[in-house]
Amino acid sequence: MITPEISWLAILPELGLALGAAAVLLVEVQWKPRAQVLGMVVAGALTIALAFTVVQWIRAQDAVAGAGQLGDLVAFSRMILMDGFAVFGRFALLVTTAIGITAGWRLIEGLGRRRAEALALILLASAGFSIMVSANNLVMVFLGLEVGSIALYVLAGMTRSSSTSDEAALKYFLLGSFASAIFIYGVALIYAGTGQFEILAIRSFFSAFIVTSPGVILIGIALMIVGLGFKVSAAPFHAWAPDVYQGAPAGFVGYMAAVAKIAGFAAIARILITGLGDLEVNWLPVVAGISALSMVGGSLLALVQADIRRMLAYSSVATAGFVMTGVVGGATSGVLFYVAVYALQLVGSFAVVAAVSGPANSASSMDEYQGLATRSPGLAAGFTILLLGMAGLPLTSGFVAKFGVFSDAWSAGYQWLVIVAVLASVLAFAVYLRVVVNMYMSDAEGPTLEVPDTARWVLMIAAAATIIWGILPGSLLDLASSAFPL
Amino acid sequence: MTLADYLPIGIMLVLAAGFVAVSLLASRFFRPNRPTPEKLDPYECGIVPEVEPVQRFPVKFYLVAMLFVIFDVEIIFLFAWGSIWTELGWYGVAAVLIFTFFVLETLVYVWKRGALDWNVKRRSRYLAPETRRAA
Repeated sequence: MITPEISWLAILPELGLALGAAAVLLVEVQWKPRAQVLGMVVAGALTIALAFTVVQWIRAQDAVAGAGQLGDLVAFSRMILMDGFAVFGRFALLVTTAIGITAGWRLIEGLGRRRAEALALILLASAGFSIMVSANNLVMVFLGLEVGSIALYVLAGMTRSSSTSDEAALKYFLLGSFASAIFIYGVALIYAGTGQFEILAIRSFFSAFIVTSPGVILIGIALMIVGLGFKVSAAPFHAWAPDVYQGAPAGFVGYMAAVAKIAGFAAIARILITGLGDLEVNWLPVVAGISALSMVGGSLLALVQADIRRMLAYSSVATAGFVMTGVVGGATSGVLFYVAVYALQLVGSFAVVAAVSGPANSASSMDEYQGLATRSPGLAAGFTILLLGMAGLPLTSGFVAKFGVFSDAWSAGYQWLVIVAVLASVLAFAVYLRVVVNMYMSDAEGPTLEVPDTARWVLMIAAAATIIWGILPGSLLDLASSAFPL
Repeated sequence: MTLADYLPIGIMLVLAAGFVAVSLLASRFFRPNRPTPEKLDPYECGIVPEVEPVQRFPVKFYLVAMLFVIFDVEIIFLFAWGSIWTELGWYGVAAVLIFTFFVLETLVYVWKRGALDWNVKRRSRYLAPETRRAA
């Protein structure tokens, strides 16, 4: 009798999301309701998933405090973990999903009868990435990565009438599947070298044995870094990002980029820091190099873009580099805090882009933002806060996040990386300031802008979070620092 | 595992490549060469082809083929479960029920959307009026 230790609680959030996706589709074909009804179904699924995530969080904290057993946090034959790290990542994913759907609501409404498919795809993508952040088995990481990524490829091409959307979807699909294949090849080589798929088992393997000829393992690590580096759009694996960010429907891009970043960095942190921590002499220089290249390259390229979406894409490449300094620092809490904070800013920024240039449109020239402050003062103010947050101005959450990862990297002995990072931050500041100047210092062209209420809400939440966690970061920092992996 | 252990694979590669090269070269040198237009045509059941091979055909074939593959794959998963389902117990039943529910739900969705209707005109009645006009 094979009885895997079953803890349904471990997958209830994902199950809730998947059942929500099914419910949305069935409700749509049976009753063809108004979009608001579908929105309520989705909100229900997200609420249920969030509730179970909170239960998981309490359990994880109890187990760490000694009230429960650490073994309780391992479920499904050691496939899924419910440790604080996984639960924090899940929570960030779910909140990003809720805000992302709100930000893209005008686009979803405009999709007609296909709106249920878009909502279902979003829920399924979140379920996949949620599996990815909580997986202990490398094959499970891959499974979650694929479930999430495939849904994102389709979302990128959701506006079928636009050829740029098709182009974005195809590019994302081809390059993304290639990156996934590289990742799974790395997993296979790690298995060949250690005989283990489980991240925790790999850690105990390396603390018990010293591998004298680790060639296969090193190639495996390199391939995994390439595959995951692609997903978080770190240079030099970032080539897809500008085209996809520009071509995919604006209403979805913020969500797509944010969840891929959260899940990708959670996987990188868990695999590298937890699983392969004993081999860090080997991968630290590589990750530091990728980090420096992303920061400097991303900021420089963002500086010369004429399209705001391409600019945001390159700035997200730079941000991937900044988060990577946290991976170099070896502290998972800094990485978690940074991606959680950045995800909100990204979704909020693309809500602005969708409001200014239309949710399904794919061209968002920088000129459209000239004098935005007079056309829509609220939008310009909110966007300014988000941009300054991304730049890492003091009193914004971006500053706290950057300070956290930089000090981790500094104490890990990577002073040169921190110096490069600070210089790149100055460059990035120029990037964001350019947009702000454009919005405030030029004359307005065109009439007052009609801003949908959903975008207004998203922008308010994202801007408020940026400021509140910038001034009083304690609440989120405490959560992130108690969210350590097993 | 040293490099020498891979030697049989190397020998196999050489043999395979050699066989292809030798057969192709031998037939090139020994065969009579009397081409006619029919012989140079692409082979199609031994009959002279009547139309160009590349042509448009209705997208519904792809739809049906795709749906077939989906349900085919589902059956493969069920086989794996079926061979040890007594050992898995109620856990296995629950897992398979969840899995089957999602496949069935997909079937219901595509059915209601009219993907199984062979008649394109009738299929479009499932679409909303605004979409129908566009299509």
